[in-house]
Amino acid sequence: MKPIDLSLFGAKGAIVEAAEGKWGMAIDQDLCTGCQACVVACAMENNVPFVGEIDAGYGRSMHWIRIERFWEGEYPEIRMTPYRPMLCQQCGNAPCEPVCPAYATVHSQSERINLQVYNRCVGTRYCANNCPYQVRSFNWRDYTDERVNDAIATLKNQYNPDVTVRRRGVMEKCTFCIQRIHRAQDRAKAEGREVQDGEFAPACAQACPADAIVFGRIDDLRSRVSRLIRQKHGVHYLEELGTQPRVTYLVGGAS
Amino acid sequence: MSNTISRRDFLKLAGLGAATSAVLTGCGPAAKYVTRQPYFDMPEYTYHGESTYYATTCRECAAGCGLIVRTFQGRAIKVEGNPAHPVNRGKTCARGQATLQGLYNPDRIPGPIRQGRAGALSRQVMTWDEALDILAKLFQNTPADQMAFLLGPAPDHLYDLVVELAAHLGGPAPIRFGALSLFEGRTTLIQAAQELFGQAALPFFDLASADLVFSFGANFLETWISPVSYTRGLSTMRKGRDGRRGILVQFEARMSQTASVADEWIPIRLGSEGLVIAALARLVAEVQGRPADSFQEVTPDEAATAADIPPEMLYHLADRLATAARPLVLVGGSALAHRNGLQVAKAALALNALLGNVGREGGVFLSPPAPDGAPHSRLASVQEMAAFVQRLASGTVKTLFIHGVNPLFELPASLGLAEALKNVETIVSFATFPDETALQADYIFPDHHGLESFGYQRVMAGAKEAALSGLQPVVSPFHDTRATVDLLLAALAQAGRPLPYSDEFAFIQSKIRPLMTLAGGSFTAPEEHTFMALFQQHGGWWTLNDMRQQPSSPRGRIAVAMAAPEDGEFYLLPFVSPVLGEAGANKPWLQETPDPTTTVMWNTWVEINPKTAKKLGIKNDEVVRLIGPAGAIEVPVYVYPAIRPDTLAVPFGQGHTAYGRFAAGRGANPINLLLPILNEAGDLAFADVKVRLEKTGRKYSLSRLESRIGVYGEGLEEAH
Ligand code: SF4
Ligand code: SF4
Ligand code: SF4
Repeated sequence: MKPIDLSLFGAKGAIVEAAEGKWGMAIDQDLCTGCQACVVACAMENNVPFVGEIDAGYGRSMHWIRIERFWEGEYPEIRMTPYRPMLCQQCGNAPCEPVCPAYATVHSQSERINLQVYNRCVGTRYCANNCPYQVRSFNWRDYTDERVNDAIATLKNQYNPDVTVRRRGVMEKCTFCIQRIHRAQDRAKAEGREVQDGEFAPACAQACPADAIVFGRIDDLRSRVSRLIRQKHGVHYLEELGTQPRVTYLVGGAS
Repeated sequence: MSNTISRRDFLKLAGLGAATSAVLTGCGPAAKYVTRQPYFDMPEYTYHGESTYYATTCRECAAGCGLIVRTFQGRAIKVEGNPAHPVNRGKTCARGQATLQGLYNPDRIPGPIRQGRAGALSRQVMTWDEALDILAKLFQNTPADQMAFLLGPAPDHLYDLVVELAAHLGGPAPIRFGALSLFEGRTTLIQAAQELFGQAALPFFDLASADLVFSFGANFLETWISPVSYTRGLSTMRKGRDGRRGILVQFEARMSQTASVADEWIPIRLGSEGLVIAALARLVAEVQGRPADSFQEVTPDEAATAADIPPEMLYHLADRLATAARPLVLVGGSALAHRNGLQVAKAALALNALLGNVGREGGVFLSPPAPDGAPHSRLASVQEMAAFVQRLASGTVKTLFIHGVNPLFELPASLGLAEALKNVETIVSFATFPDETALQADYIFPDHHGLESFGYQRVMAGAKEAALSGLQPVVSPFHDTRATVDLLLAALAQAGRPLPYSDEFAFIQSKIRPLMTLAGGSFTAPEEHTFMALFQQHGGWWTLNDMRQQPSSPRGRIAVAMAAPEDGEFYLLPFVSPVLGEAGANKPWLQETPDPTTTVMWNTWVEINPKTAKKLGIKNDEVVRLIGPAGAIEVPVYVYPAIRPDTLAVPFGQGHTAYGRFAAGRGANPINLLLPILNEAGDLAFADVKVRLEKTGRKYSLSRLESRIGVYGEGLEEAH
């Protein structure tokens, strides 16, 4: 095994410098089939708990990504709008951030994404209230505690050790699979190179059988995601609110 | 440690392209023997903080997608698609993603059990030695012709072994079945190919290169045949070729998930599919100035009336089809589930022939043969299952072995399997979960979960390449389970009728060995051990070339008519839950994944057109009773804006009475409404059923992602 240059990991400055990068996502709604593979993949990667039928009915399900669809018209002239995978837009100017009294939802300098610091969160839920995309989910119960949910005793074996398991009273949301960003960066750093475009993907993009989700550096104009979001049919939802979303939706399809 | 490199060491895939080849070079023969260590004795291949990745095959459906499973300190952490695998190219569906919830499910059968047909899982634990004794005695004392094997849908190494075992003992060949094949119309498609092209193979629809696709009833983005592969096909088609995006038109009585993604959804009446296809064929022939003898009896106006669409629409559709550069007509599922389903399938294939796309890019091919040349064995049709049930009922089967299928849930109750099982002296189940059928067994000798197993599986469809997908354990068994193949081999040996294989691995090796001599494969190796190790490391072996077969020119006559449904008030369209499939109900995360079109979680619902609901005075979440020819179920209503007013639709996948805490006692099973009415190919004509609807006066709030209003009992009437 190659010796690891500890100075790369020791000094915080080194990591931040190495990690600089603006990550972003393009979602092609024309390709999305609404299959939910991304939804399940995200839950499996990020230890997202299930809440059961009743709590799910009360809107307490914990999905970090959901597939939206709307109806237009009436039978037989009815149409479903293209499926829209909705996840945290990693707003450049995030409405969820300034309202948190505990500084639990902050902006990261290095990845330029919106972070959720679980052990600071005191559960005021102001952030969820203020998120125009409604993508934050709150732990109403100890869904991950086997004293509350005995099925967890065996299911917890699949927990991803890279991701904190959350407890009751804590807010959570999509992190752009930051653990994967870090893993790729660490490896690239150890090998003395840059992270390559497409070298890794968040769980949703990795699973998507329709190849509808593309992830990468949007500050690198050659990356696949940059090329996609420069296409004419890209939109930012609710951008009129000044949120500066980091997720671009492609609507309308090719040609 | 010097000259015995453990298999694990060798097979460490680490998911890194470059590192993979580095692992391989310089390694000698891999040991075939695995030592499975308990957690506290950390295996030598785990580095602190480093993951190990293993390639294997998904066992959640029979498509055979390749997986790479991330493991961490002996635990499976995450399922990912195998980027090199010809079926899924690195992707998975939602069910594949959730497979770990099966592996670590709290309701797995922990070890061999003397079940004694108790209604609930018995607590009478046995040892594997006792289990072996029992099996050996059964092999000794049951005359071979009074033994029967019922296996799951995948053509895997267990199936191959049981075929050999049955031949060796002189008994009947095993039967494979799965509810998905019933809903897909697989048998019908194969039969249609046989009658039209003279080749009994599953058609391969080349979506990726088509530019206009008319799809009848095939839910190919959900569960149909090989959904990940077909989704890739659609995606490629949509990305377009030469800047031109392909168009999908879906013909179905209800807007399925597939139809919701389509560019156009045409809600034709159930049973009219054949007529519409025939009318299109006649019109296309007219546009092209060619005779279409087969279809002269069908007049387009008649077809339009039967389908309940304007005649002009049909003319327009035919025009587009005739003038498209690479048109494709796809058929399956509910379109074939009529008494005349075989004619419908043949008409669709013949229409493709008329469009000149048979064996052409963007057209219809036949699926590749198995790489080892073995013919693809067909799954049992419902007709064959009915005959099988008859055999059980007649008492001529003394010992029944069941593996990988849950027929008490997956077959219509009207077939009488529950009664027939009472006439079987001994039932041995190898189930991993306490499903309905396993609970009716005398013994349960649980097999490993797919992620704990060695094996291989032939890819039946979905890949252009001929492929044998490989399975290997990604973790050591979580429970006291035993590989069924190992168990059967040991029992045969103990009974004094040994097969010439020392264990499961030796059997697998003997089947993989012939691939070594084939050219044009995904890898080669100079000697067997390395070949085996590479087989597992790559997740299988496949050809590099396109092995799809060219159909020969079509022949024979086709006569389609309107399918005549049973009497009743509403057409019933049962469809496989896109998220749960036939066996996902025991996984809590799949339960909590919203259905794509309705967003309902954790339950069964019946979809009703808003106008129909209004006429009947039925509101969302009202529980209604559906009365079919063979039984009744009670389900809450989901007022669904995109379904024909004369049709009700119910998802299949829930309604378990067993199968673990997350599945049992939840929802209803629409399959029990059905009579065993068959089409000419022996598939179930499940879309020829009509049902009556009765109110129960009760209410049940469906949990759905889209709206929380219903739960609080507010404002839904207004919303619709
Ligand atoms: S989408 Fe919502 S949670 Fe995400 S950064 Fe924007 S405001 Fe915050
Ligand atoms: S996995 Fe891809 S196609 Fe499926 S719902 Fe998610 S974004 Fe859409
Ligand atoms: S399509 Fe079938 S084999 Fe492929 S990932 Fe999904 S369940 Fe597994």
